[in-house]
Amino acid sequence: MAIVNITINGQNIQAKAGQTVLQAATEASIHIPTLCHHPALPPEGACRLCLVEIEKQRALQPSCTFPVTEGMVVHTQSPKVLEARKFVLTMLFSERNHFCMYCQKSGGDCELQNAAYEEGMTHWPLQPNWQPCWVDATHPYYVLDNNRCILCRRCVRACGELVGNFTLGLEARGAKTVLVADCGVPLGESSCVHCGTCVQSCPTGALIDRQGVYLGKEAQFERVPSTCVGCSVGCGIEMLVRDNQLVRIEGNWQAPVNSGVLCEVGRYGSLHRGRERLTTPLVRKNGSQQPVSWDEALDFLAERLGPPPKRMSKRVAALASTRLPAEALYFFKSLFGDQLHSAMATGIEEEATTGVQHSLIEKDVSLNGSLDALKAADCVVAIGVNLLDNHQVAGFLVKRNLPKGTQLIVIDPFENPMHGLTDYALQPKRGQDYALLLGIMAGVIRSGMSKGKLPSGFDLKKYTSRSVSKTTGIPAKTILEVARLIASAQKPVFVYGKGITQNGSTKVLRALIALARVVGASELVGTKGKANSLTAHRYQLDKSFDPQGYKAVYVALGDDELSPQLMKGLDKVPFLAVQASYASPVTAKADVVLPVGMWAEQEGHYLNMDGRLQVAQRGLQSPQDVRSNLEVLQAVAGHLGVELDSDWRQALGQVKG
Amino acid sequence: MGKPKIASDWLAGCAGCHMSLLDIDERIVQVAELTDIRATPITDLKQPDKEGVDVGILEGAINLTTNEEVAHRMRERCKILVSLGDCAVFGGVIAMRNFGKLEDALRRAYVETESTDAEGKIPSDPELGKPTSVRAVHEVVPVDVFIPGCPPDPDVIFYALSELAQGRIPEIKDDKLHWH
Repeated sequence: MAIVNITINGQNIQAKAGQTVLQAATEASIHIPTLCHHPALPPEGACRLCLVEIEKQRALQPSCTFPVTEGMVVHTQSPKVLEARKFVLTMLFSERNHFCMYCQKSGGDCELQNAAYEEGMTHWPLQPNWQPCWVDATHPYYVLDNNRCILCRRCVRACGELVGNFTLGLEARGAKTVLVADCGVPLGESSCVHCGTCVQSCPTGALIDRQGVYLGKEAQFERVPSTCVGCSVGCGIEMLVRDNQLVRIEGNWQAPVNSGVLCEVGRYGSLHRGRERLTTPLVRKNGSQQPVSWDEALDFLAERLGPPPKRMSKRVAALASTRLPAEALYFFKSLFGDQLHSAMATGIEEEATTGVQHSLIEKDVSLNGSLDALKAADCVVAIGVNLLDNHQVAGFLVKRNLPKGTQLIVIDPFENPMHGLTDYALQPKRGQDYALLLGIMAGVIRSGMSKGKLPSGFDLKKYTSRSVSKTTGIPAKTILEVARLIASAQKPVFVYGKGITQNGSTKVLRALIALARVVGASELVGTKGKANSLTAHRYQLDKSFDPQGYKAVYVALGDDELSPQLMKGLDKVPFLAVQASYASPVTAKADVVLPVGMWAEQEGHYLNMDGRLQVAQRGLQSPQDVRSNLEVLQAVAGHLGVELDSDWRQALGQVKG
Repeated sequence: MGKPKIASDWLAGCAGCHMSLLDIDERIVQVAELTDIRATPITDLKQPDKEGVDVGILEGAINLTTNEEVAHRMRERCKILVSLGDCAVFGGVIAMRNFGKLEDALRRAYVETESTDAEGKIPSDPELGKPTSVRAVHEVVPVDVFIPGCPPDPDVIFYALSELAQGRIPEIKDDKLHWH
């Protein structure tokens, strides 16, 4: 990259061509105050606080948008600049209600207040114009107070350019400009997806988090970097902890997967507000659960599980949540699979065929696509997957690129909200997604646009666009259009979910792989399921659960919930032991309940959907009598007199940093 | 030259800034040694000397015609006028009233409160002065020193007083500068 020589405040700096003055200054540790600027967002140049004096320029220039040029001479602290800065702040304060004494952001967290302190402003030269703006408190998670808004558009840009939702926008002109949702509907009734990225981006008190409000300031929080365990995307998060309370969760702007963006599940769902904690071991005596000591509970459990059998046995079936850390999952496998020789030690995921899917893809590592590929794709084919409701951040990565010209093709025989995102919403008749893929493949080959070889085992003769149109119900013209669209893409990416393996068949996935080969693509992204779904697969904990005939069932649930189907399977179990963080129907049914820490109270490793190994840190202390998932499995093994293998890393196989 | 004379008064505020002044604790003795504390709302003498003082301190916002009179009197009788606290400096919590109508605020305060009986009415005694829009002190009279804070920290108040006592203008910046 070309080097550009510039001078800032008399200091010679080698900047990179294409950088802005602000970027060059920041890299050289020269501070320029900003408000509308945010490193994760495209520059805006709205607030004018970053104005600098550039020699040979007629007027002061905003450093956040002004590109560096050879020989440029910049002054960031000249009297003219300082005067302009104070003037900009004066105008901002005079526009609305910026009285700090009753604002939750006051005292270090407000970028506007900090900027005023930095300029040594002891008072406002101009008083406000006393025009009240409306406040919108209709949203379940945040309050929008237009009186505190400085119209920097950070939230608008976050909503559109990071999340791809385009809910927020500005309405009216000049001093009357206000932030609105959609075309002016209340925020709570808008198209908002509750991801909270706008709140995290707001520099003032205009967007306030309802649940964390007045519970502390930045200086009082400990920020614990960690990984979200809400799903297999594995977003980087920061836990904001004060006095052992998880006050807020924010997206980590530096995280490679999500770069700061989170979804509702990760930001608000993970706070687990309103769930009832289990704080002491329970044992069923005379029909009701009684609190007991750990020793008593473990002795009782060991007695009921009996001495470890020597060979494969139908004594204990075991079920583990795939939200548990890899360390705990490996202990689980070692305890129930290896030491107790259970043929039924498996994970909680109901997609019984995930395992088959994983195996098919994992055999051919070159086909294991990444989330980074999704960010750069110019054509995304989503099949059997709903990224608007599950794995939402992966959905954001796709949605935000649509206005930039990325083509989206959604194939699903069932109703899929993603169909609303694109003109190419293909809904073949039930069971005909396979035929459709072959039709598209045949279309690519017949158009002479194939870039790779058709794998063996596919006979496309019958799959003319006309015949496929007849079986799938999709117009022949559309099939050909889609075929050409995928074939002409530079970086096509295929995303698939559990919807493509109906009835345990991998037929559709095989067809998808073949299509990827034909168009020369190497990026297939499988959404997997929960946070450690891939780990569970690598540990062979992914067969479907059937406790029939077993004398006892052990459920390592952690802070997860059990699906109604799995619950039903436990109906006739003679003896049920559960390790769980929260009270639920399954713990109510159990004969032994062992209380364990929730996700924020334990540390461990997670393998996300594209095979990246990440660490989840511990941010909170567990209640006094509660142990971690790992400790409990170890204690159970101890009481049974067996040794556990702890080399979880080795068994995980190949991972990305 | 004798010790600098200091006087203070309060306008529309909560008296919290004067409480914060008392929170300088035993250092008040040093202030008393260095200065001649004349009239304050918390001592016997209420009005600044007609002959004038060196430093005048005002707490609270301008919210009534009587506040205007007090501010003008202090300005006329002091050399250096200090705005103490967010109400004096910005208008403070009282200025929330300006975002609505004055009549609405008075009715809410005197007629519609949960404990007001049927005879509740807005006071109109001429001695009370006439309510106005809420203003910072410097919108009514020129101010020389601004000490924001709700209330200002006792350490900041002590710093400002000791600077003024020694004939210097205090510089409120960096960790001494707080708006809330």
